[in-house]
Amino acid sequence: MKASYNELQGLCLKAFIGMGFEEGDAADAADMVAWMQCFGLGGLAALSRGLDFLLEDDPDDLPSVLYQDGDLAVIDGHGQSVLRSSTLSLELGFAKARARGLAVIKVRHCHNRQLIMGYLARLAGRGMNVTAFWRNAQQPLTEQVVGFRANSAVPEIRVYAVQEIPEENEPNNAITIVMANHVDLLPAMRSDYRYDLLAHHDESTLLASRHQSLTEGIEVDETVWARLKHLASRMLVEATDASREGAGASYQDND
Amino acid sequence: MLDVTTHGATPVALRPADEAMTLERLGSLHASRLSFVRSLVRQMARQRWQVSCARFDLDAAGHGVAIYRLQTPQGRYHGVIFSQHLEPEQRSDRVIAQAWDVTFGLVEGDVDEGLLEQMAANVPLQEAGRQHPRLLVLSRANRSLRNFAHFVDALSSGRQPDPGQITRVGYLYRTTAVYGNGKFGIADFVRLQNNADFHRPFSAQMMAVYLLRHFSIQQVEHIACHQAPGDAVPLASELRRYLGIGNSTGLGMAPFLINHPQLVQQWVTCRESALMTALRQAPDENRRQRLLVLTRRAMRHFKQTVTEDTEQGVRNAQTVAALPQVIAWLEEMPLEDDLWQQLTAWSARTLPFETQELIHTLLIELYPERVDYLEDQMGVIERLEMTPDMPLVRLKQLIETRYDWALNEDFKTPEARYWFWYRSVEKEEPRLGVRDQEPGAEKELHLAIAPRVQHTHGVLSEFLEANPRALVVEFLIAHPRHKDIVRRIQTMVDTAYGEIRANLWHRDMKPMHLLRTKLSFFGASRFDPKSDRWVRITLFQGAPLVEELNAESHDLQDFDDWSFPLEPESPGETAMAR
Repeated sequence: MKASYNELQGLCLKAFIGMGFEEGDAADAADMVAWMQCFGLGGLAALSRGLDFLLEDDPDDLPSVLYQDGDLAVIDGHGQSVLRSSTLSLELGFAKARARGLAVIKVRHCHNRQLIMGYLARLAGRGMNVTAFWRNAQQPLTEQVVGFRANSAVPEIRVYAVQEIPEENEPNNAITIVMANHVDLLPAMRSDYRYDLLAHHDESTLLASRHQSLTEGIEVDETVWARLKHLASRMLVEATDASREGAGASYQDND
Repeated sequence: MLDVTTHGATPVALRPADEAMTLERLGSLHASRLSFVRSLVRQMARQRWQVSCARFDLDAAGHGVAIYRLQTPQGRYHGVIFSQHLEPEQRSDRVIAQAWDVTFGLVEGDVDEGLLEQMAANVPLQEAGRQHPRLLVLSRANRSLRNFAHFVDALSSGRQPDPGQITRVGYLYRTTAVYGNGKFGIADFVRLQNNADFHRPFSAQMMAVYLLRHFSIQQVEHIACHQAPGDAVPLASELRRYLGIGNSTGLGMAPFLINHPQLVQQWVTCRESALMTALRQAPDENRRQRLLVLTRRAMRHFKQTVTEDTEQGVRNAQTVAALPQVIAWLEEMPLEDDLWQQLTAWSARTLPFETQELIHTLLIELYPERVDYLEDQMGVIERLEMTPDMPLVRLKQLIETRYDWALNEDFKTPEARYWFWYRSVEKEEPRLGVRDQEPGAEKELHLAIAPRVQHTHGVLSEFLEANPRALVVEFLIAHPRHKDIVRRIQTMVDTAYGEIRANLWHRDMKPMHLLRTKLSFFGASRFDPKSDRWVRITLFQGAPLVEELNAESHDLQDFDDWSFPLEPESPGETAMAR
């Protein structure tokens, strides 16, 4: 089925609130999912894959700062989805980059990492050059690099397979973000190591996807949609005769 | 004080927010020339928009499909209206209704048979349907049965309807929801941001309502014609003009105003800027006479306005009683350069809020050449953003200076935390519940900004004591639950008018004021509250007709002069003579 951007964002917001997200986190998470879906990058599918984990996350197990100095911070995401754990870490990096010109943030132990792109877009919109990368542990080992130019909401995305796997290849569920006030950080593949480019989304194809989403509607999976609707209904209050009386017009308005 | 200049003896500035943004003040606003229906009609006239009927397949009872084509210099649109029989027990103004007399949509581009079929299957279902992404607006309306029957009866008997009937209820149809911005699959508003015709907030919705008004006239004439083919007469032009479209609105408007503070900021800033501009002008005799004409017309309009609501009735009566004083004041005072400032200062001392705001509306009306550019500034790209590197102590200072109204409330008293806002399972209808008495407070919508600001202020003050050099982001990492309100505060402190200065939990809070705030910017007239949280209003009453719009030439100033419409005195002579 097709949905509009606003409808998708609105339903996600209500569903996240239904899941127990705080209002601000719910709004950010909804933006992140809708942003990705609008650009044709499978935001709902990413959400769907992580939804069961998300429902089990302990909302009080907040991300903690393991280390920080003027330029660098390492955050423990406590195994939670980036939808719940990443935005303030990114804001911390933003503050450092504003103060020092460049900052590096590493968020360890987080999942649903694809979805972080929507919030990176927001930081870029506030005038920050942003690049993020993360590795997926499946075979072959893949690495995804996302780069936003300052003041552009559209990224350059590359996914490639790493052929030469380092010996100390321990499970890596971290995400690394580099932010720079004045320097472009778009991903450029100039390494001497072998890699196979698996996917490349440039600005023009992403903009075309967005245009299509806004003119023709956004394709959404009905099963996921129904699940989100169910979660959203958790924030609704059962009707009573008293509540109906006080809400508005009468039941019949044959005047 | 935001922008001060001196003209004559008195400095003129934008009104401070603690005056302009109180709930009672906002709940006293009237439509102005910057309201959306007025600016739409001006745009239609300036750009010579043309409306034609592309299809009118109605049976003798007026049921079927009508399609109107709207051609602008930039694009083509179609209003598609489905009219059906409705059982009386189904006719409800509530959002929880399931069927309506008419359902309709405004479509971008052409309507082929495939799209019409899709719309016929979904538009009548409204929220329960899956709507097409080329629909800009989705809406529905129910008949005013008494007016409809009276009109059909009169026209089919060769008579004109009683104008007094329209004065009592100024429409044949009233809408019960007018959806835009992506609702139920229709086009997102972001798609309209580069659309030359409908980039202004709510202009597409107002256009759809305007087309419904035209349909209502054509439909009632069609039914009368079928009832008495030889005897029926068309509706007289004066009565057509006097017909508007009703709207029935409940609490659903309240969350919008709280959740869109940047838009509210924009709307109020435009209105206040227009007022300031008018106040800065040195009046001439022509303008004084024009203000007298407008004041007399408004006085008659309110004298004629009918409402069963006691409180609104009193407010209307107060306005009618006060306006002769205003007229006398205007006639007697010497024509000094700062006369308008003297007028508003005098009215602020002596007249009720509704009359004061009426004077402001009329002053704005005097200077179209100086204020009309503001109609293009009503929109804004909304985004509440954080400033994570702001020192926390600075945020604390900003809260204490810009949100003092929120800190001054004592939320410990039962009266101050009486209501809670929530959404019902019944079509997500927003409702109010009494805290500690009705179920659902744990699912409260966070619409009351003041208690949240006060709570955050307390927590951050404590944090500051232990971390005096902390940044905002460091506070939020320790207390992430405050992210939403901190972001709002940091965004809105740079603005004057985004926050409505009221405790929306308070027992004495009047939701009607919230509804009226938004409706006044739409351009509503004839406020007719049915309770403290449900109101009927009229849109486009007195507005130029489609046939006037389509006419080759018209005087733009005259075309635009339709505020505070009056009951026609001897309608029908033209129509009867045809």
